[in-house]
Amino acid sequence: MIERTVRIQNELGLHARAAAKFVRIASQFESDIKVARLNSHEEIDGKSILGILLLAAARGTDLNLRANGRDEEAALEAIVGLIQNKFGEQK
Amino acid sequence: MIELMSGAAPSLHAQVRDLYETPDTTLNLSLIAGKEGLENEITSPRIQKLGLALAGYVDYVHKGRVQFIGGTEINYLRRLSDQELREAIQRVFSRSLCCILITRGLQPPLILLDAADRNRVPILRTPVLSSVAITQVTGFLEEKLAPRTSIHGVLMDVFNLGVLLFGVSGIGKSECALDLILRGHRLVSDDMVVIRKLGVDRLVGTGPPDFQFHMELRGLGILNLKELFGVSVLSRAKTIDLAIHMVRWKSDEEYDRLGVDESYQHFLDVPVPLVTMPVAPGRHLATLVEVAVRIQLLKNQGYSPSREFVRQLDQLLQKP
Repeated sequence: MIERTVRIQNELGLHARAAAKFVRIASQFESDIKVARLNSHEEIDGKSILGILLLAAARGTDLNLRANGRDEEAALEAIVGLIQNKFGEQK
Repeated sequence: MIELMSGAAPSLHAQVRDLYETPDTTLNLSLIAGKEGLENEITSPRIQKLGLALAGYVDYVHKGRVQFIGGTEINYLRRLSDQELREAIQRVFSRSLCCILITRGLQPPLILLDAADRNRVPILRTPVLSSVAITQVTGFLEEKLAPRTSIHGVLMDVFNLGVLLFGVSGIGKSECALDLILRGHRLVSDDMVVIRKLGVDRLVGTGPPDFQFHMELRGLGILNLKELFGVSVLSRAKTIDLAIHMVRWKSDEEYDRLGVDESYQHFLDVPVPLVTMPVAPGRHLATLVEVAVRIQLLKNQGYSPSREFVRQLDQLLQKP
């Protein structure tokens, strides 16, 4: 199991289309992926769109990502990359 | 665009006989001349009034339209001398005509009947007023001449919304229809749906005329739905308001997760709201179709549940 913390940087936060991208990428991996707000115990499934949406993670929110499985390294790298890349958005 | 198995559109025409013999109008037509021309073809639902042509201007007489003679025309002809009358009728018949319809039960000059017989142009007569006859003839012909196509699918009436289910053979369209019937929804056609375009953007679906209410279910054979479930679960025709494309679930395929984007399927160039529904074990299709219809009913009233969700989320995300 590996763990990373990443901050939401795009202006709109983890909005609907960004969440759809998140889930699409997470679903490409075999590993279990869990997401929680930093210092929160409420963990949601990274492959569930509703779960991701209910995080309501605005800009500046820190998310704790955990992956567990054969491709855990690649999975977290891809998701962190997506978030740091502002979900492909301009700002 | 999704490829659909669709039948070649038959050429659009009606014979004068179809108009004469149809039980769908209340015109009480009688055939008073030209019965040898009953196979003449009507190609347009628009009618013409023969007035100007009788007065000498025949350039715009269209062969494929029903030519109306009403009180105005008959009174005009009565004012002519025998010589003028003969010439007027000769001029009109110098053009090809499919048929003439006389309204208000009026009596035409005999010379018109003779000319019609000679030229094999049927003359039909109705007791009703021109305005009523025009509406009825136009309505009948619009229906008869409507552009049409047929597709492999199932048409259901679900909560009074016409739902067209389509997808490859064996995906479970009929089984889904059966479930919907058992829940009290009505079936229009299984397997083959004939779609007609009425007016500019209204699509109406029916079944094949002879075996409309039959269904084939693998393992059970051919069923007669009227016998099994009664007339109350069947409907002869229904507008097409929602298309549901049933596709096999593929794990690597990306399906709509948010439901905020609209897509459409075109039939006869008319766009119909489209839902792509992945089929997999554990996904109860009748339930999903019912829910898709409920969503569409809300959208028809200008409300989209998923857009509302997204709007609320955006508000939350923008809070300082």
